[in-house]
Amino acid sequence: MNAPVLMFALPLLTAFLLPVIDRLSGLAGRWIGPLVLVGNLLLGALAWPHLQDAPLVLAMGGFRPPLGIVFYVDRMAMLFAMGVALGVLLLWPAWAQDKDRVRISTLTMVLVTATTGLALSGDLFNLFVCYELAAISSYGLAAAGGSAAAGAATLRYMVISSFGSALMLIGIALVYQATGTLNLAQLAVLSDALAGPQGLIAFIFILLGAGVKAELFPVNAWVPEVYGAAAQRVAGILAGIVSKLALLIIVRLLVLVFRQPEAQQILLVLGVLGVITGELAAWRAQDLTRMLACSSIGQLGVMFVAFSIPGPAGVFAGLAVALHHMLVKPALFLLAERWGGALTRLPGAAQKSPLAAACFVLLALSLVGIPPLPGFWAKFLVVTAALGQGTPAYAGAVAVILAAAVIEASYLARVAAHLYRRVTQPLSANRQTRAAVTVATCASAALVSATLWLAPLGNSLQVTAAQAADRDSYIHNVFPQGVQP
Amino acid sequence: MTPLDALLALSLVTLLLTLSCRHQVWCGVLTTLLYGVQLMALLFMSTSIHYGVPVPSGVHFNVLGFEMHWAMTPLAWFFALITLGAAVASSWYASTSWGRHYAATGGSPGLLQVALACNVVSMLLLLCSADLLGLFISWELVSWASFLLMASAGGAAVRHALHYLVYAVAGGMAVLAGIALVYVATGSLSFDAFVASLSGLSAGRLWLLLLLFGGGFAVKMGLLPLHLWQARAYADTPGPGSAFLGAISSRMGLFGILLVLVQLAGLARFAGLVLPLTPFTALDLLAWVAAFTIILPTFTALRQTDARRLLAWHGIGQGGYMLLGVVMGDALGSAGGLMHVFNHATYQAALFFSVSAVVYRTGTSDLDQLGGLVTRMPISFTAMLIGIIGLAGLPPMNGFVSKWLIYQSLIREGHPLLFIAAVIGTLGTILSVYKLIHNMFLGQLRVEHEHIREAPWSMTLPMILLSAVVFATGYLPGLVLRWIAPVQRELGLPVLDYTLGGYQSTAGSLDMIWVVTSMLGGFAIGAVLFYAGGRARRVHQLDNYAGGHFLDAATRYQYSYNFYPALTRLAAPLYRDSFQWLESALVSMLQLASAGAQGIYRSVHPSLYLLAAAVIAWLVWGGGH
Amino acid sequence: MTPDIGQVLFCGSFGLVIIGIFGIVLTNHLVRIVLSIALLETGANLLLVMSGYRPGAAAPILVDGTVPASMVDPVPQALVLTAIVIGVAVQAFMMVLVLRVHTAYGTLDIREIRTLLERDITHAAGVPLPVSPDEPLAQPHTVLHRGAQ
Repeated sequence: MNAPVLMFALPLLTAFLLPVIDRLSGLAGRWIGPLVLVGNLLLGALAWPHLQDAPLVLAMGGFRPPLGIVFYVDRMAMLFAMGVALGVLLLWPAWAQDKDRVRISTLTMVLVTATTGLALSGDLFNLFVCYELAAISSYGLAAAGGSAAAGAATLRYMVISSFGSALMLIGIALVYQATGTLNLAQLAVLSDALAGPQGLIAFIFILLGAGVKAELFPVNAWVPEVYGAAAQRVAGILAGIVSKLALLIIVRLLVLVFRQPEAQQILLVLGVLGVITGELAAWRAQDLTRMLACSSIGQLGVMFVAFSIPGPAGVFAGLAVALHHMLVKPALFLLAERWGGALTRLPGAAQKSPLAAACFVLLALSLVGIPPLPGFWAKFLVVTAALGQGTPAYAGAVAVILAAAVIEASYLARVAAHLYRRVTQPLSANRQTRAAVTVATCASAALVSATLWLAPLGNSLQVTAAQAADRDSYIHNVFPQGVQP
Repeated sequence: MTPLDALLALSLVTLLLTLSCRHQVWCGVLTTLLYGVQLMALLFMSTSIHYGVPVPSGVHFNVLGFEMHWAMTPLAWFFALITLGAAVASSWYASTSWGRHYAATGGSPGLLQVALACNVVSMLLLLCSADLLGLFISWELVSWASFLLMASAGGAAVRHALHYLVYAVAGGMAVLAGIALVYVATGSLSFDAFVASLSGLSAGRLWLLLLLFGGGFAVKMGLLPLHLWQARAYADTPGPGSAFLGAISSRMGLFGILLVLVQLAGLARFAGLVLPLTPFTALDLLAWVAAFTIILPTFTALRQTDARRLLAWHGIGQGGYMLLGVVMGDALGSAGGLMHVFNHATYQAALFFSVSAVVYRTGTSDLDQLGGLVTRMPISFTAMLIGIIGLAGLPPMNGFVSKWLIYQSLIREGHPLLFIAAVIGTLGTILSVYKLIHNMFLGQLRVEHEHIREAPWSMTLPMILLSAVVFATGYLPGLVLRWIAPVQRELGLPVLDYTLGGYQSTAGSLDMIWVVTSMLGGFAIGAVLFYAGGRARRVHQLDNYAGGHFLDAATRYQYSYNFYPALTRLAAPLYRDSFQWLESALVSMLQLASAGAQGIYRSVHPSLYLLAAAVIAWLVWGGGH
Repeated sequence: MTPDIGQVLFCGSFGLVIIGIFGIVLTNHLVRIVLSIALLETGANLLLVMSGYRPGAAAPILVDGTVPASMVDPVPQALVLTAIVIGVAVQAFMMVLVLRVHTAYGTLDIREIRTLLERDITHAAGVPLPVSPDEPLAQPHTVLHRGAQ
C-alpha cells in the first residue's frame, strides 16, 4: 500500500519537473499541477478504506524504525493530507498568472509536498524538514507579484519564522539529548525523560517554532501584513491550510510525547491570548483582508484552547473547529479576492452578485457559531469539553471564547450590512474573479450539506479523534514487537 | 402527522411562499390567509391544551448524541396564539395599499413578508421546543429573524439593527454558557436532566445559572439595564414590522424566563437564594429589576417627540409589568402578568397600526408636526383611543384587568414599594399616551393636512379588529383567563378562579361585565342628556377668539412642543442617561483594547516579547521546582 | 582545571544563540538582522551537533574497516547538514528580498520600512490613512476666519 508515499512523492517530482514540462508544452505546464492534486485526492480515497481498522505504518526505504523514517498514516493524517490536496486545488494560485506561472506552480507543488509530509510523517526531524520546506515555499508565494509591500511583509515574516525555526531546532536538539531518538513512537515510550523542566523548555521552543505558521500568539505578528500584501488566494492557502498542518505537529507532540499539564496550560494561555488579540484587532480593521486575517488568528486561538484539553474530547473538539475553519476561511478569502479592499468599497456588492453576498452571510454565520450550521457544533464541542475540565482557567477560556463570538458577530454583521447597502452604481467585478465566487459557492453548498449530514460526519470525526488520541495504539502500531532501545 | 406537525409544516409553506412570490398583491393576501389557517390549526389544538395535555410533534432528530423534539404545551400555545394573531394582523396591514406605498418609497415589501414569515417559523419552533438544544437553536434563529426584520428597511435602521445584534448574540452566548454548564453537570440536554441537576446545586452555581439564563433572556425582553437597543430598533422597523415586533418579539424573552426559571427551576428555588450580605433574595432582585423597567422607560417615553419611539419605549416598560406579575408567584399576580402579555400585544399592535396609518397619509410621525387629525382620520383615532386606554390600564379595556390583578397581587403579597412603583408607572403611561393622542389627533389641524383622508380599508380593518378584541377582552376577560389557567397549572403556579367577567376567589373578586356595563350605562345616560338637551351647536374649531385676535389656520396654536414642562424640569436631574453613559464607556474600553491589539500586530518591538518570554520561562522554572 | 571541549562548545553555541537573538531584537538595520539570523542558526546547528557529543569519543568514521571504541553520535551530524542547507537557502532568499525592499523603498531601517509598508497596504486596499488629530488641517477652516473678524 504505497499510496500515501506517492501522495508525498508525486507533487515533489512534479515541482522539479514543471519548468521542463512547461518548456515542452505550455498547456501541460498549466494543467499538470491541478492534475497531480486530483491524483493525490484519488490516492487518498484509495487508501481511505484501508485505514478503517488500523493505521498504516510505512517505513521509508525499508529501514525499520526507530532508525528509519516512518510514515504514520492514521485517519486524521489522511484527512488532512486529502484536505491539503483539495484546498490547494480549489485555491490554485496560478490560474490567472501569466509571467510567473511556472514559478508559482512550482512553489505551490513544493508547498503541497511539504504539507502532506507534515500530515503523514512520524519522525520529528522529518516534520522539521517538511515544516521548513513549507516555510520556504510560503515565503516565495507570499513575495510573488514583485510588489515592494509583499517583499517587505515577507521579510518580516521570514525574520520571525527563522527565529522560530532556530528555536525549533534547539528544541529538537534538547529532545534528542534527553532521549536519543527522533522517532515519535519511541519518543512516546521515552516520554518520561521529557517530563521535567528540560522537556518543558524543549516543548516551548518547538511550540514557538511551529507556532509561527500556526499563528500562535506571540509569533503571529506577521499575519495581518502578509495576508494584506500577498494575493488573496495565497492568504487563503496560508490561513486555511498551512496553519492547520503546523498545528498538527503540536497536536501530535502533545498527545504522544509532552504529556505534562504545564504544556497544556501554556497552550491554553497562549490560545486565549490569541483569541482576545485576534478578535479585538479584527473589530477595528478597515479592510476586508486584514479583518479576515485577524479573525483567523482568533479562530486558531480557539483551536489551541481546544487542543489543550487533555483526552480524546479535546482532540475531537479541536479537529471539528479545524476542519470547519479549513472549509470556511479559504472561501471567505476567495470572496475577499472578488471584493477585496476597503470596507467602504463594499456597498453595492449584493446588488451586483447576490449569490456571492448570500454565500458570505452563510459563511460568516457559520464562523460566528450560529446553529444549526457546523460552526456552532464545533464551538459547542469546545465549550463543553473545556467546561468539563472544571478548572477556573478553562471556565475563563470559555468566557473569552463566547465573548469573542459576540465581537466576531459584530464586525461580520457590519461587513454584511455594507454588502447589502444599496448604491446607484455598483462597482463592476473583475472577470477573473468569477471562478473565485464559484468556488465560494461550492464551499457554502458543502457547508449546508455538512449541516444536513451532521450526524454521520460527527460520528466519523469522533472515531478519527479517538484513534488520533490513542497513544498506546500509536506505539503498538509502529513497534508491533515492542521497542528495541 | 400530529396537529403540531401540520402547524409547523404550514408555517414553512408560508415561508417558502414569501420567498418565491413575485406578484406583490396576491402575495400579501395569500400569506395573510395562510397565517389565518395556521391560527385555525392552533385553535384546533385548544381542547387538548385546555386540559393541560401537550400535543407532541412526530418529528425528532438525534444529532451527535443529543435528542431534539418538539411539543406544544399550554404555555407554548398561549404565546403561539399571540404570535399568529399578530402575524395575521401585520400581514393583512402590510398587503395591498401599505405594501404599494412602501415599495414606492424605496422599500421592499417582499423582504418584509419574508422576514415576518421567518420570525413566525422560528418563534413557533422556539415555543414548541422540548429540550435545551432545540431551545438554543431556535433562540438563535429568532434573534437573527428579528435582525432581518429590523434591517429590512435599510439605511439608518441597519445601524440600530446592528446595535441590537450585538446585544442579541451576547444574550445568546450567555444562554449557551448556561446550557453547556447543564450539559457538563448532567451529560444530557433534556429538560428532565436540567431539573434533576438543580437539586444538588450550590448557591453560587445557582446564581450563575440565574444570571446566565436570566440575563440571556432579559436581553431579548429589554429588561434594565439591557434595554438600550430596543426602542430605536423597533421604532425604525417599517410599519407593520414594528407592530409585530412590539407585540410579541420581546415576549419571547419572557417565554424563555417562564420556561427555564419558573417552570423548570421553580420560583421557590430562587426565593431561597439570598443575595450575599443583604436581606434580598433573587426573587426580590427580579421584582425590582421589573419595577425599574416599568418606571424608567415609561418616563423616557414621556420625553419622546417621535410617536413610534414613544410606543417602543412603552413596549419596554410594559414588559416590566409582565415580569413583576409572574415573579409574585401567586394566582392573581401570575395571571395578571400572563394576561398582560396578551393585552399588550393587542393594544400595542393597534397603536402601531394607527401611527403607521398616520405616517402613511402624512409622511411623518413627528408629534410636533401633527395635530387635529381626528376630523380626517376618525377610525384611526378611535383605534388609538381604545389602544391608549388599554395601555394606560383603565376600564373598560383589557389592560385594566391585567393591571388590576397585578396591583391586587402586589398588595396582598405585601410589597407596598413595588405597588407604588407600579402605580408611578401607570401614572407616567397615562400622561405619556395622552400626549401621544393629543399631539397627533386632537388640537389644530395643519394646513398641509387639510386634504388627508382616512387610511384604506386594508389598513383600517385590522385596526378595528384589534380594537374590538381589546374592548371585548376587557368586557369579558374570562375569555383570556380561560387560556391562562392551564398555563399557570403547567408552570406550577397557583391557578386563578376565573369567571367570564373576571375572577372570584377568597382573594377578592372582579367582575368586568358589571364594571363595563355600568360605565357604558353612565356614558349612555350622559349621551342621552347631551343629545336630547339640544343646546349644542356645531362650531368650526377656529371660529374662536383669543388674545385679541381671531384665529386663522395659518398660525400654529397647537400646544405640542415640550408637552409637560414642569414634569420634565422636575425629572431632569434624575435622567442623566446613565445607562447610555455606561454602554458608551464599555464601548470605549473595547475600542481602546482593540487599538491595543492592532498595535501589537503592527508595531510592538520584539524585545518586549523576549521580556515576556523570559518572565514566563522564569515562572515556569520556578513553578516546576 | 581544564574545561572539557564539550562544555566550551555548549557555552559557545548558547552564546551564539543569545547573540543572534539580541541582534534580531535590538538592531534596526535589515542586513544586520539577516546576519543575526545567520548567527542564531549557526548557534542552533552547533547545539544540535553537540547533542550527539560523547566525551572522549572519536569521529564516526570507520578506520580500516574497524569500529572505534566510542564514537560521537552521527545522527545529529546528518541532521545538521540539512539544517545548514535550509539556513543558507533562507538567508539567500532574505538577501534577495532585502535588495528588493531597498530598491523600492530606498531605506534599510525597519522602522521606516514598517511605516512605508503600512502606507502601501492601506493604499492598495483603498482605505484612507488614519490622520492624527494633532496634525494641522490642509485648508484653514472658514468658520475660524469669520470668528476672527
